[in-house]
Amino acid sequence: MRRGRLAAAVLLLLIVAALLAPWLASGAADTMDLANRRAAPSLSHWFGTDELGRDLLARVFFGARVSLAVGLLSALVAGALGVSVGAASGFFGGGVDAVLMRATDAVLSVPRLLLLMAAAAVVQPSVPVLVLLVGGIGWMETARVTRAAFLQSRDREFVLAARAAGASPVRVILAHLLPNASGPIIVSMTLAVGRGILLESALSFFGAGVQPPTASWGNMLYQAQTTMSTEPWLALFPGLFIFITSVAVNALGDSLGEASVSERRAPA
Amino acid sequence: MKYFRRVGVSVPLLLAISLGVFGLIHLIPGGPMAVYLSSPGVRPEDLARLTRALGLDQPLWRQYLQWLGGFVTGEWGFSFSDGRPVIDRVAERLPATIELMGASIVMALVATAPLGIIPAVGRGWVSRGLSIVSFAGISLPVFWFGLVLQLVFAIGLGWLPSSGRTTPGDGGAMDRLAHVLLPAAMLGAVHAAAWARYLRASIADTLEQPFVNAARARGVPPGLVLARHALRPALLPALTIILLDAALMVAGTVVTESVFAWPGLGSLFTEALARRDYTVLMAMLMLASTAVVACNLVADLLYPLLDPRVRA
Amino acid sequence: MTPHGWGPTFRFAFWWGQTFRFALVLALAAECARNAVAPGPTNDLLIVGYDREPDTLNRFSTHILEDIQSCVSEGLTTTDEQMNVVPLLAAEVPTLENGGVRMRADGRMDVTWKLRPGVKWHDGTPHTSADVKFTVDAINDPSYNPESTDGFDRISSVDTPDPLTAIVHYKEVYAPYALQFVRGTLPKHVLQGRDIDTANDYNRSPLGTGPYRVAEWKSGEFIRLERVADYWGGPQYPKIKQILFRFIANTNTRINQLKSGEVHLVAMFPWDKYREVAAIAGTIVHRTAGNAYEHVTLNEQAVPAFRDVRVRRALMHAIDRELIVKTILEGLAPITNGPIQPVSWAFTDDTTTYAFDPARAKALLAEAGWGDGKLSFTLITQAGFAVRESVAQVLQKQFRDVGVDMKIELHDGTTISSVWFEGKFEAMLHWWQMPADPELTLFFAADRTPPAGRNINYFKDEALTRLVYASDRTVDRAERKRLLGLAQQRIAELLPELPLYSITKLDAIPAGLQGFKGNPSNAGIFWNVREWGLR
Repeated sequence: MRRGRLAAAVLLLLIVAALLAPWLASGAADTMDLANRRAAPSLSHWFGTDELGRDLLARVFFGARVSLAVGLLSALVAGALGVSVGAASGFFGGGVDAVLMRATDAVLSVPRLLLLMAAAAVVQPSVPVLVLLVGGIGWMETARVTRAAFLQSRDREFVLAARAAGASPVRVILAHLLPNASGPIIVSMTLAVGRGILLESALSFFGAGVQPPTASWGNMLYQAQTTMSTEPWLALFPGLFIFITSVAVNALGDSLGEASVSERRAPA
Repeated sequence: MKYFRRVGVSVPLLLAISLGVFGLIHLIPGGPMAVYLSSPGVRPEDLARLTRALGLDQPLWRQYLQWLGGFVTGEWGFSFSDGRPVIDRVAERLPATIELMGASIVMALVATAPLGIIPAVGRGWVSRGLSIVSFAGISLPVFWFGLVLQLVFAIGLGWLPSSGRTTPGDGGAMDRLAHVLLPAAMLGAVHAAAWARYLRASIADTLEQPFVNAARARGVPPGLVLARHALRPALLPALTIILLDAALMVAGTVVTESVFAWPGLGSLFTEALARRDYTVLMAMLMLASTAVVACNLVADLLYPLLDPRVRA
Repeated sequence: MTPHGWGPTFRFAFWWGQTFRFALVLALAAECARNAVAPGPTNDLLIVGYDREPDTLNRFSTHILEDIQSCVSEGLTTTDEQMNVVPLLAAEVPTLENGGVRMRADGRMDVTWKLRPGVKWHDGTPHTSADVKFTVDAINDPSYNPESTDGFDRISSVDTPDPLTAIVHYKEVYAPYALQFVRGTLPKHVLQGRDIDTANDYNRSPLGTGPYRVAEWKSGEFIRLERVADYWGGPQYPKIKQILFRFIANTNTRINQLKSGEVHLVAMFPWDKYREVAAIAGTIVHRTAGNAYEHVTLNEQAVPAFRDVRVRRALMHAIDRELIVKTILEGLAPITNGPIQPVSWAFTDDTTTYAFDPARAKALLAEAGWGDGKLSFTLITQAGFAVRESVAQVLQKQFRDVGVDMKIELHDGTTISSVWFEGKFEAMLHWWQMPADPELTLFFAADRTPPAGRNINYFKDEALTRLVYASDRTVDRAERKRLLGLAQQRIAELLPELPLYSITKLDAIPAGLQGFKGNPSNAGIFWNVREWGLR
């Protein structure tokens, strides 16, 4: 539990830093200093400067706004969609299952790259749009694992007992099946956070991501790949923050999973 | 019987997918003519002539029907970029992708076992360290990881070739192995990390189940509990994902193949997409969909075998 | 590092700095100590890291003059490192002076090509004027789909009085006639009566007259060229036995292969890799002043403000090109003031220039009624092109300094092409690779807006249009130079687009490579490959 609390604190800190970015680093993220490009970390620039001499620390702060919003919110969107589809499919089975799972297969079989490029042609990029886009193409994994977990517990005594006692499907799903499936669901959603952050940078490539000069961790990392062997810190810092976010989210997920397991055991 | 029906459903499903992806690739701005535009010598009459020659002057619905008619009869058409039969272009790239996929799945499975099981059952530094390793795998962008591998193993240490599938003029077994290691490690690491997370979660979950506790109460040693009772049902969610990822590898190898100049379907996809080579794209997308549909079918078949509680 | 503020912060920052330096030193040491796994370049084998796989080796079917093709198939002429047209399979370049070009009273034109004697196709068949005639007929035949029929469609017929003479009859004056056969000829004895589009034996391994033939093409991996036995150029040519083109689309990977010694030569690598490549032992960077120029296209059709010359001049005054060139381009590419580059014979520097002058820019904008943040537009440019993304952001900042709001949108290359062709953009940062023969009509004539041409500024000026068309209708070099000079002056005066810098080509070549000359035009660096040799 201590680990969970620590993870939550780290995540909270990152979110607060992102929200406060305009005050913490006002203007610094866009101030160019072409004479001082790709400078190594130093006293005046703790994380060094980027290819236009902008302060990397300030850009990491501002980048957090886009990356955390897209990463966390899109994972929620994907989770909500995926759990709904997977739960309905696993619980009702039969025709509902067939239709929903074949639809999932259909969406799954189209490469994400293609979906994003097509979407980019239709919509104007903005952070809410990005959240929906990234969430909208990332729900299938959650749906598959939710369904698989439901299939495992659908016919077990406590579920059958609840149904025999006349509990409504919604109640059976929410009170009995979902808590039992929480393990894989939480994993799939926490995985979606890191993937969302990275996917956002790929989107910039097709005119649907955030456009320069707006920073995101993903596009900072993408930019940095050309200079990885000469100025490694340009790739290191945004990468480090994606890593920290991912660790925090996953650790939080783990302890939530453990919590739900012990909760389930309590009344038994 | 049920599974025959399931296979039967796949046909209209693939048909619907084909219509969907056909629409999608035409929704992307730019077309097969775009590459000619920056060439000063290409004039409107040249463009009109080339458009006609590729049949792109036809209405979209007719283009689709023509494609479909050809596809089901095995006539996959000709590539817009080099004029060769699509089937040849796809077939010559398939072995490289299968080789890369195979190697990376093996590497991923080998890594998944310790990364998933130890953090689930153990406590302390080892298990925590392994958790961190899998976190790294999740949050590392593949292109970044690939470049690091090149810098370290090809340039820094000089142990392995930095990219490609063979050394021209060699191509023996050892040469092939040396080439496949880095890209397979890169692809494998990403999958292993995700798979391990699922495996860890479901083992932790299963270990709390009554039948496992019952086994424990009977005095079955912990290792045996894990092997006999916990592992098999715990594999089910993990298996769902592993098969999912395996099916997605056609599209999933795009970045890896680009970074390592791997001559497989992923790099063909990148080329065809940049060129808007519709015929090649359609063929590859249909292959990918068939793989997804087939792998999910296999997953559903395997569920009852792994966990008797799932009805067939 | 500033010396003030000694405290925990400083120590922390100092520690960061030291750690990084240490990591860098470590990386460098590792690089120096690497085992040589790959053999260096020799006259037995040169390995080229190539950014794409060709779609076809038939030079008439592809959309660019490709490097691999030019090792196998030779043109009647080619362009050298100074962009002069030089004879290759022709004995000489036909001109008015040597009687090769004859103007007819009715406005038609005849060009007589004298072929070099003793040239044989790789199968031993002599190369003759019949091949020239066959080529023209094949390209004009509607059943074949070459990329372009430009120029060929102005040819009415070809006479072949003897095997080494081809007289090409043009329906009208065609100024770039000397480059008509720069892609070479098609072998009549192989292709006659066949569907060339599907003649994959030829398209994948063309029968040429050049110093090399295709020995192996492994799809997705490489093309291996092998020296031909009795090349017409003499037994001393070519010097290198085999050239291997490895297809490596990813730029970082290509450079990494250069570092590990797995490839020996990488053509046209991006400027932001310059320092990294220059530091590779055994590799030198060859710079060629290019014939392409980076500029901002201003779409007058989409943005009414761009129709005012004061606005266009204001934008030019707002840009500090000196700073961009010195910093982002690392001093590698010179500032340019117009569409024709110094490397071309038609270049003139006697034109209006616009110094960096923000105050003047503001005044001009105010005068035109677009001051105080009233002007706002979106610039599109290609994604994944790091230097361009940086330049776009600097332009954005410098425009903002004079009260102009510019947004940036990145798109993939293929999307960009179709977007500009349809005129669906406001401003665009990009370059034109200009043909070796100066071509302004296509880009600036009032009636050459898409689809008829590449005038995507949608700029219309009658005087300029007259000048550029007149320059196309003369083959007299001095007169053309005068007309093109006037056109350049007019363009600089009216500023339909904002010229930024000339594209310097950077080629990474082995230090021991002799005979390498580079090439500014799209003839590519392999135009004189037969002379290359390794010490």
